[in-house]
Amino acid sequence: MNVQFAALRLAWRNILRNRRRSLVTILIATVGCLSILVASGFALYTYDMVRESSAGEFGHITVAGKDYFTRDEETPLQYGISDHRELTAALLKEASVKRILPRVSLSGLVSNGDKSVIFLGIGADVPGEAEVRGDILKLEAGSLTGKPGDPPAVLLGVDLAKSLNAKPGTGLTLLATTTSGGINAVDVMVAGIVSTGWREVDKRLVYTDVGTAQHLLVSDRVSTLSVYLDSTDATPAALERLAMADPAHAYQPWWVQAFFYHSVRGLYDRVFGLLGLIIGMLVFFSVVNTLAMAVVERTREIGTMRAMGAMPGEIVAQFLREGALIGAVGALLGTLLAAGIVLASPHTGLQMPPPPGRSVGYPLLVIATLPLYLITNTGIISLCAAAAWFASRKAAKKPIVEALAHV
Amino acid sequence: MTPALPAETREPSLAIDLSGIVKHYRMGEEDIPALRGVDLEVPVGTFLAVRGPSGSGKSTLLNICGLIDAADRGRYLLAGENVAGLDEEARTMIRRRAIGFVFQSYNLVPVMSVRDNIEYPLLLLGQSVDERRARVDEILGQVGLSGMADRRPDQLSGGQRQRVAIARALVKSPTLVIADEPTANLDTTTASQVIDLMRALGHRHNATFLIATHDDRMTAHCDAVHSITDGVLQ
Ligand SMILES: Nc1ncnc2c1ncn2[C@@H]1O[C@H](COP(=O)(O)OP(=O)(O)OP(=O)(O)O)[C@@H](O)[C@H]1O
Ligand SMILES: [Mg+2]
Repeated sequence: MNVQFAALRLAWRNILRNRRRSLVTILIATVGCLSILVASGFALYTYDMVRESSAGEFGHITVAGKDYFTRDEETPLQYGISDHRELTAALLKEASVKRILPRVSLSGLVSNGDKSVIFLGIGADVPGEAEVRGDILKLEAGSLTGKPGDPPAVLLGVDLAKSLNAKPGTGLTLLATTTSGGINAVDVMVAGIVSTGWREVDKRLVYTDVGTAQHLLVSDRVSTLSVYLDSTDATPAALERLAMADPAHAYQPWWVQAFFYHSVRGLYDRVFGLLGLIIGMLVFFSVVNTLAMAVVERTREIGTMRAMGAMPGEIVAQFLREGALIGAVGALLGTLLAAGIVLASPHTGLQMPPPPGRSVGYPLLVIATLPLYLITNTGIISLCAAAAWFASRKAAKKPIVEALAHV
Repeated sequence: MTPALPAETREPSLAIDLSGIVKHYRMGEEDIPALRGVDLEVPVGTFLAVRGPSGSGKSTLLNICGLIDAADRGRYLLAGENVAGLDEEARTMIRRRAIGFVFQSYNLVPVMSVRDNIEYPLLLLGQSVDERRARVDEILGQVGLSGMADRRPDQLSGGQRQRVAIARALVKSPTLVIADEPTANLDTTTASQVIDLMRALGHRHNATFLIATHDDRMTAHCDAVHSITDGVLQ
């Protein structure tokens, strides 16, 4: 029979010597592995989700005039893009670019005749925005676009609509400073009410089409072009190529603006890192405890093997195999259970509470990735092997006569 | 003492050659002399008994001869090779190759089958599967346990267990077998059977046996008997 296999079989028999004790240890390794996999799977899902929503909000890459990201504009659209149609056509030639959305930032006053409120507006391709933002731009009432023949349409944030007492169909006036410093006004009609989940944003938000925004500001520029790619992973490569090919404009990836993504990651990395450390220690000491008892019980056996010519290292190796086997069985069970949870998690309907500043929560999902499972399994097995080394290293070097006299 | 012939060609006639072996144990302040200058020459293939009252130093002597303990002073040639000053690793390698052990309480590994227990010393020597199987089958026949290869030690009688232990000690054809009170746990009939078996197999494998006992009935079965009292060998 294969020597390795025989050694593993022997290790398994030794584990079965004290079934109850070994079972408890294996279960601790199982629960340890399971909790690491589920907690990390949840964190990875959250990272993915926040990443996608950040990228959805800003676009994977934002293109603007040269100084847009580094200086404040003194007049509206000062660092805007004037040739945005040509630029859009050029950008669309890049293979990974899926869609380009122009945006005009504007601010001013919105009035219902009785009351004027400050607004922060975006002139944009409204249906396109709704599509890329998904959950982040939810239509609460009305529709995204106006009817032909009506005045230019706007969407209002829920809290702004409440403060203006506006409903779909209400007529409003937008007032803003033009690019040349004058004041301009446009009469608009509310097409729909939207919410972003951010209360601070919903208090001031006005969406209108690019043409209306440009008309209000008296300009043919746009502030930025938001570039959407096939996948978020394609961002670094696309960014490099696009920025290289077009030194006349500034290119910024999504992560520069994604403060929420960075803070979630920072927090979860610390929380789950600590959790992993605690679980690791728990597994380690429980295996140390189990094997230390086994080592004491088998002292005379160790002495016998040493007398027959086994090196201390060979004795330790035997316990290492036992520790690793406990770890492997525990990790396997933990992996199976975690996989079950991953498969079941979309069907539970569980929701996480809204993050600070937001008004909507997100679904509690757990995902699995190959590196996560490989690293966790290897980690648990190595931890158990290390515990076995820790538990047996002294006994393996005990004077043989003493070990043989042990009762 | 200079060997008369170069080491490669000389067939040592002495398995054990001890002179001036001294061993003290220290228990706190107390100094316990266990061996006070033991000289011993054992020709190859001898079945030798060391007898003496409890505490006389039998186990200490056997442990030193079996290289699981070291003397404080004295010279020890094992099959002509000076093994007195060796470190633990070198002693381990010599034990692996050349020394077998039979213990009073058998010391079989309970989770291993009879075959696996006997095979273990050969695994340490890195022998091939076929070689191991052939050797184990052969020695199982010699100790009369051919049909019991797959049993666990707890499925055997005391006499059968000790025969497994004898097989385990002899399977690698060692120079020396150390047996400290091998029959103390056995009834008289079984004990003489075990002693006779050891002696027969010892001669067959040309192994030197060193047996400690305080049972005078056993010494009748031995080639030679030495007595030890208070750490002094007569
Ligand atoms: N580890 C030890 N520490 C202290 N003293 C020891 C130790 N081992 C043996 N001795 C002492 O050394 C002396 C010889 O002991 P040894 O075990 O060699 O005797 P023995 O002849 O084998 O006795 P028994 O027949 O009871 O087995 C005794 O006085 C004993 O008390
Ligand atoms: Mg003794």
